Amino acid sequence: MTDIGNIALWITFFVALWASVVGFIAGRTHRPELARSAERSIFVMWGLLVVAAVALMRALLTHDFNVEYVAAYTSRNLPVFYTWSSFYAGQKGSLLLWALVVSTFGSVALLVNRGKYKELTPYVAATLAIVVVFFVATMVFASNPFERLGFTPPDGRGLNPQLQNPGMVFHPPMLYLGYTSISVPFAFAVAALLSGRLDTGWLHAIRRWTLVSWLFLSCGIVLGMWWAYVELGWGGYWAWDPVENASFLPWLTMTAFLHSVMIQEKRGMLKKWNIGLVVGSFLLSIFGTFLTRSGVISSVHSFSQSNVGWFFLVFLVLAAVLGFGLLAWRWPMLEAEVKLESVVSREGAFLFNNLILIVIAFAVFWLTLFPVISEALRGTKVTVGPPAFNLVNVPLGLALLLLTGIGPLIAWRRASPENLKRQFLWPVTAMVVTAVSLAAIRMSDWYSLVAYALGAFVVGTVVQEFVRGTLARHHLHGEFYPLALVRLVGRNRRRYGGYVVHLGMVMLFAAFAGLAFKRETEVTLKPGQSVDVKSPYGWTYHITHQGVSQYEELNRYVTAASVDVLRNGKYIGTMKSEKRQHLDSLGRPTFEPSTAVAIHSDAREDLYIVFAGAVQGTEEAVYRITINPLVWWVWYGGLVLAAGGLITLWPGAQGPTAASRRRAEPAGYVAQVGA
Amino acid sequence: MWRKSARSLVLVLALGAAARLAAQEPDDSAAISNAIRTTPGDSVGRLMAPEAAGRPADVVTARDNEDLVKAIEHKIHCTCGCNLDVFTCRTTDFTCSTSPAMHRMVLARLDSGMTEAQVLASFQRQYGEMIFMAPPKHGFNWAAYLMPYAALAVGLGLVGAVARRWFRATPRAGPAADAGAASGAASPEELERLKRELEKFEA
Repeated sequence: MTDIGNIALWITFFVALWASVVGFIAGRTHRPELARSAERSIFVMWGLLVVAAVALMRALLTHDFNVEYVAAYTSRNLPVFYTWSSFYAGQKGSLLLWALVVSTFGSVALLVNRGKYKELTPYVAATLAIVVVFFVATMVFASNPFERLGFTPPDGRGLNPQLQNPGMVFHPPMLYLGYTSISVPFAFAVAALLSGRLDTGWLHAIRRWTLVSWLFLSCGIVLGMWWAYVELGWGGYWAWDPVENASFLPWLTMTAFLHSVMIQEKRGMLKKWNIGLVVGSFLLSIFGTFLTRSGVISSVHSFSQSNVGWFFLVFLVLAAVLGFGLLAWRWPMLEAEVKLESVVSREGAFLFNNLILIVIAFAVFWLTLFPVISEALRGTKVTVGPPAFNLVNVPLGLALLLLTGIGPLIAWRRASPENLKRQFLWPVTAMVVTAVSLAAIRMSDWYSLVAYALGAFVVGTVVQEFVRGTLARHHLHGEFYPLALVRLVGRNRRRYGGYVVHLGMVMLFAAFAGLAFKRETEVTLKPGQSVDVKSPYGWTYHITHQGVSQYEELNRYVTAASVDVLRNGKYIGTMKSEKRQHLDSLGRPTFEPSTAVAIHSDAREDLYIVFAGAVQGTEEAVYRITINPLVWWVWYGGLVLAAGGLITLWPGAQGPTAASRRRAEPAGYVAQVGA
Repeated sequence: MWRKSARSLVLVLALGAAARLAAQEPDDSAAISNAIRTTPGDSVGRLMAPEAAGRPADVVTARDNEDLVKAIEHKIHCTCGCNLDVFTCRTTDFTCSTSPAMHRMVLARLDSGMTEAQVLASFQRQYGEMIFMAPPKHGFNWAAYLMPYAALAVGLGLVGAVARRWFRATPRAGPAADAGAASGAASPEELERLKRELEKFEA
């Protein structure tokens, strides 16, 4: 079966090459038979990659340790649940997953747009095929998942214990889905540039794709934070690691695009900027993969260094030259249809919102690469860790939060003083009351105080929008308030889904601001001994060490340390933190012992306990105890964010705005969009 | 061997726990916990498989938790390749032998009478600038902090320039657009217009 997988990869390579060449010729010559051939090649490519993926999965499930990848990432006693993770735990499998997902999205994009955008689809097929050619070429020439060993080991090395976590089953695929789905908007942007059809038609085609991509990236990032928090044991969820940054960068540019595209749809402005954002987002998704595989920057996530990094660098440069070269070529055709009438307008607010998002993206990019730049220019190595990232990004993040509140309050075109007064009164009042209250209780961290005050401002704007809209429906249609609210959201899902996303962002900012009040300590306790830890809220945790037990469980040997916890004298539970020594099927230790954290979480704070080790092989245990305020809000903020995205995406939501349809009309897209 | 040892250990622990529970008030968790708090165990049991519990840990002292020690260790980078600061690494990565060694160096240097600044300077002499979690603010390193704000300034300048060009090219006439949302305090005329627009929109 692995041979079939290998052959399928080679055939995919040639089919994708064919699709890319034929697609471009079809786009240029308008020959429908060639366009059909390119389109069908994408479906064939998808089928072949499914065969390759099934072949690899079968090898993993049947423990075919003669396959190098299977021996490197699985063992006989690896739970089946995590065998799925091993598919993309290594570089070779992740490349196959990437190629498979690009071809899947490509096929879906071509299917749902069948009969529409006829001048674009040949180029779309060709561009997507080129992306697949790249990934498949990387596999067959440098990193083949079906490579065989000269011998067959009795058991595999097993999966890294840190990857044996439910978060790891969902987080990487989500990120891959986010990264890869950017390929579709990129392909449409390239198609629009090549064909010269630069009205808003191509934007209609990618509206849902950009949202899907953004949603997957958001979920992938939050799930990654959750995994880091519960699995790595360092007491945090974001460390500004280069690979975390790599996922954050395209999210920032996609977020900017989701705002600026509204200006193009509504007012016919920012055409160049929007194409630049789509191209930039795609490049940043490739850049992230380059970072993990090149070894250019040290990261806890890095795959083993290999020449694959060079493949990515070359592809990155070529894609940048193609994308921005085409943009430069079509520059004169991308003039705005109308001009900005006032900076004090929604267009103006979105413009500043885009500016801040892009500056944050630049800051993250710049600081991530700064060690390399410093070494290249000065010959001096430096480390750029969380303190530097926070110093630069916290003020920018607060500015973004402010603009998140301002944007929805200002009218399109130009806001009148009456409009500003009416819209800002209650949100600003909420902000001032919050700031004064927090100052009165002597909140010590100024950044946090500002974050909470701005958060109240944004919540004020969102609540005001919902209340006014619901009241208006109630007055106009006589609907009950709950029904009016549901219909309000249902009839304008994009707008109100966006507001829900804003609420999710406020929850995330509130959680980040809570980090300023984090407390951490390390203690050694014998069984029966206790320690008191003070919470930032003023109460006391009384933590009593119960003992250490050892037992075998699944594919590991567990050393578990338990503590009883009382909060202000009230028992809240027994918490168990573990050291896990993973074993292969012959009972031999595989990796170094890993940690399982004990977490007691509520909306106010997390009590986070790590069993750091046993003193001289006894039950005397060392614990790291961390109190993390408001971490709960990260996970639920992520959920609210995703819910907002889903509301916006939900089928049946109205399509492009009337203004946007009018803009597409000259290009003949209206019937297509409406179809 | 481990399996057998583990079974023995579980049995011993279970018996120990039962004996402890037998000495407590029944069905009163608070009382149990209080009793445990006031009667710390005199003897400490040995683990059957200590090697499975990771690197043997040292007893933590009050010194290890001093704010000054933590503050210094949060500023210096563990050189094991983990991207973490020394405090986080030594209390998280229990396979790392570098961060405990660096922790001992911090304690030794503080014990020798060095101030925080002197300790940090001594680490810089030993390892170079890369030892700090953030580039020290001098010379070229300022670029790390200032470039994003320079980019912001350039961006603002560009937006300003483009906006000025647009303003020159556009007549400033025309009424302001309506606000994004309807007001609960709108006039009857406004409500009527809103109703017509909503009906048109929903159709």
